[in-house]
Amino acid sequence: MTLASFLRLPARSPGLLLTLLAFVLILAVVPAALAEAPPVPLHGLAPLANDQQVPHVLLPPGSLEPDDGPSDVIFPPQHLTLRFNHAFHLKKDLGLTCKNCHGAAYRSASAQDSLLPKGTACDACHSTEHDNLAAVKPGDDASGQCGFCHLGYKTADGNAVAALEVPRANLIFNHKAHADRNIGCAQCHGPVEQLELATRDQLPRMRGCFHCHEMPDSASRGTAKSACDTCHLRGDAKGGPTRIRTLFATGTLKPPRWLHNAEHTPDFLERHKLVAADDSAFCANCHTEDYCSDCHDGRVRPRSIHPNDYLNMHPVEARMEPQRCQSCHEQQSFCLGCHQRAGVAESSPTAAKDSARFHPAKSIWSDPPMKPGSHGFEAERNLNACVSCHTERDCVVCHGALGVGAGFDPHKNGFLGGCATQMRRNPRPCFVCHEPGDAVLGQCR
Amino acid sequence: MRRAGAACGLGAFLALLVPSAARAADAEVTADTAAQFYDVRSPTGETVLNRRRLTTTLAISAYDLLEPEVGDPTAPTLSFRARVRYDADFGINGASVDPTNYANFVPGLNQGGVDLMYAYVEGRRFLHGWLGFRLGRQYVTDALGWWSFDGAQVTATTPFFAKAEAYGGYEERGGMPLSTARYESDGVWRGDRSNYDPSLAPAFQPAAMAPAFGVALESTGVTWIHGRLTYRRVYDTGASNVTEFASGTYSPAQYDGARISSEKVGYAMDANLAQLGGVKAGVVYDFYNAEMTNLYATVDAYAGKKVTLSADYDYYVPTYDADSIWNFFAGEPMNDLGLRANVNVTDRLSVSGGGHVRVFNVQTGPLDPGNGSAYSPYTNYAAGQSIYPTNGHPFDEGGNVSARWRTGETLVTLRGSGNWGAEGDRAGADLAAQHVFETRYIASLRTGVWQWNDKLQPDRSTTSFNYVLGVGYRFAPRSQALVEWENDMNGLVGQRFRLMLWVTVAVTK
Repeated sequence: MTLASFLRLPARSPGLLLTLLAFVLILAVVPAALAEAPPVPLHGLAPLANDQQVPHVLLPPGSLEPDDGPSDVIFPPQHLTLRFNHAFHLKKDLGLTCKNCHGAAYRSASAQDSLLPKGTACDACHSTEHDNLAAVKPGDDASGQCGFCHLGYKTADGNAVAALEVPRANLIFNHKAHADRNIGCAQCHGPVEQLELATRDQLPRMRGCFHCHEMPDSASRGTAKSACDTCHLRGDAKGGPTRIRTLFATGTLKPPRWLHNAEHTPDFLERHKLVAADDSAFCANCHTEDYCSDCHDGRVRPRSIHPNDYLNMHPVEARMEPQRCQSCHEQQSFCLGCHQRAGVAESSPTAAKDSARFHPAKSIWSDPPMKPGSHGFEAERNLNACVSCHTERDCVVCHGALGVGAGFDPHKNGFLGGCATQMRRNPRPCFVCHEPGDAVLGQCR
Repeated sequence: MRRAGAACGLGAFLALLVPSAARAADAEVTADTAAQFYDVRSPTGETVLNRRRLTTTLAISAYDLLEPEVGDPTAPTLSFRARVRYDADFGINGASVDPTNYANFVPGLNQGGVDLMYAYVEGRRFLHGWLGFRLGRQYVTDALGWWSFDGAQVTATTPFFAKAEAYGGYEERGGMPLSTARYESDGVWRGDRSNYDPSLAPAFQPAAMAPAFGVALESTGVTWIHGRLTYRRVYDTGASNVTEFASGTYSPAQYDGARISSEKVGYAMDANLAQLGGVKAGVVYDFYNAEMTNLYATVDAYAGKKVTLSADYDYYVPTYDADSIWNFFAGEPMNDLGLRANVNVTDRLSVSGGGHVRVFNVQTGPLDPGNGSAYSPYTNYAAGQSIYPTNGHPFDEGGNVSARWRTGETLVTLRGSGNWGAEGDRAGADLAAQHVFETRYIASLRTGVWQWNDKLQPDRSTTSFNYVLGVGYRFAPRSQALVEWENDMNGLVGQRFRLMLWVTVAVTK
């Protein structure tokens, strides 16, 4: 039995059979072939074909791994409406270089200059005519059609193409100065010749700048200074004309965490002293003294530091973290003055003095012998708490060596080891408790 | 002839200061005013202080007094900045500032103090970047703290990644004209007692000029590592009361003469590796007390691009002006150990939190003065009779969490913390939000609940709720008016209200 007889086809129609077989074959094979064939790469729409992720090695120097891209504040987001394949154009056989299209960069002294090529730069090869942007003429072949480069373009759009938005960088930058020193484009922008579309990701990273910009102000003229205002704009709406401008439409300029560990995290209030103690000039790039003094020499309670009914709450914190009080308050003026007015200080004026006892019962607090809960142990634990409320007179009443002083010795461990130096350099506190002729002072002379 | 020479010299000096090619220098005038109205009750409720405070500052600045080369950020610059402050409390009873009213007089209290916060001429990048200077009242901030003096500072920046700084003048001290006590070393109750009877409040010491000088060596240029070594010496001068009981027991006596007020050296540094983390550290040594008074270090580890993990250590010993008796007292060091983390959840939301332990020190046996024997020849009780704590290292513990959500016009922050210890507990949280409508209308809200337990005075423990409502109008980028209404509610004060008015004006040419 033949296939023809099985299918009950007429024996005289082998051509029909072959046609049928071919049709079946086409139906079976072509879709499979289409399914397995790689799609046609869409070049120039992304840094790499098919929008593959750009490997770190192709990002600009200074990029982190993983990388978040350049700062939105410095380089505002772009809206790219062009297809362009840098890798293709920079192939050796075309003989093009960066300068062919971005020649303006070699002459630019300002980051406000536009360094993108005009449409006319494309005309020679694409046979287009961009001389008159109101009536651009397409080229003859496919690469000369508007839609070849201008994304989303339809013939019905006539001469209109989608606007390209590449905001200027919020920086001071002199391309010419860099180019004149033979600093190649890739040194800041990375190997763009290996990429298709150049996006914001190829804009420089500040860390990359520091590869060269690490020189002091006094380094020879023309070398790369690291001072912030070498590159960052001055004149802020917040900090005054000489500070770095920090407020921009796309955000607030803040230091990255790798720069002096100065990331302004939500708890930066707790740890900013670490930065300021090391390099206050770094802070002063953005902040005036007023910014610091509003808290550190403050006369108005900053609620972010002293929340709620802090006036009533502060004793607890003062006993626990006294040195933090000292970072803004002088105890013998700020604290003592208010405590005297409020009547809680031993030295308060009689008319204001509070009749109630502030400290625990005398039997525990001050009666000898010392015992747990005694003020002596509290003073050892946190002497600042005493100083915030008492004048030295209050202490000398009992700790003075002679006369009115009851003679309770308050000196610390090992005091005799250094008292001679202290007495030589400033004998005044010695004489508060000791008579100048006191024999015991001989141990410190 | 001599007068003409002096005039020529003065003219030459002014010519150096004033650029010959006059240019449109930037000038700025800013003013901040805050008025506060609230009452304060003493801890036992007996005394009520009326606070009717007005704090206003006026600042003037002039920049770019020299004509810099266009586009040359390394050109020398000359600027002037000054800010004066008036801080008045109209609620002060007149009797409190009357030295003849012994029953009410509070020494040093000032109804309306005026101080010059800073006023200096600053030059930068002269002599091809080598020379910088400041002349006038100015701040110095470094490992030795935040400090102010009147005088001159000169900085030499070398091309070799180091700069040297020297300064000298007089420390700003309370009781001196146009000055505050904020920047002097603590431990001395000091001020203007020029109109006081010598027997009145002898513990209140007369203020006098305090000569000071300092030097610093600092790295510059390199951005991944930085350090500053700084040394400062301050002198006390003038008479100081040393007999505190002038009213009877002793006759008034004073110590006079130049003497050390403070002498310290400090070093602070930081270093970073962007892919790994960073370290910061600092140390302060007090020459007068001959001991290390502060040592701190923090290590940050960058765990991915959104998370930073940190460990902190802080050692601190209280020290005071060398005129103070408290340097000799047995103030023991404190040690802080902490761990914290920061997570940048999104571009707009960040969360930080951590915990710490603070370890104190107290004696667990008789003190040893250093000669092998226990104190002291005078002590009128035997030290051996004392009952000492069995634990020489009591500690407190605490933690905090902070979160911030920020968009262009809205800022929301949450800040909570808790501290627990033998002397008291404190825990609570504040939520604050501010929104700017149409770039000019400001609305703000802050509310919080806090609980504190005062273990030394249990009757002063309470839970407090508070809210602050604010509305304002921003009539220029840096100029705005704001009204805030604050209401505190707790068992100690019942209801307390506070009204605040803020006006900030900035004019720049």
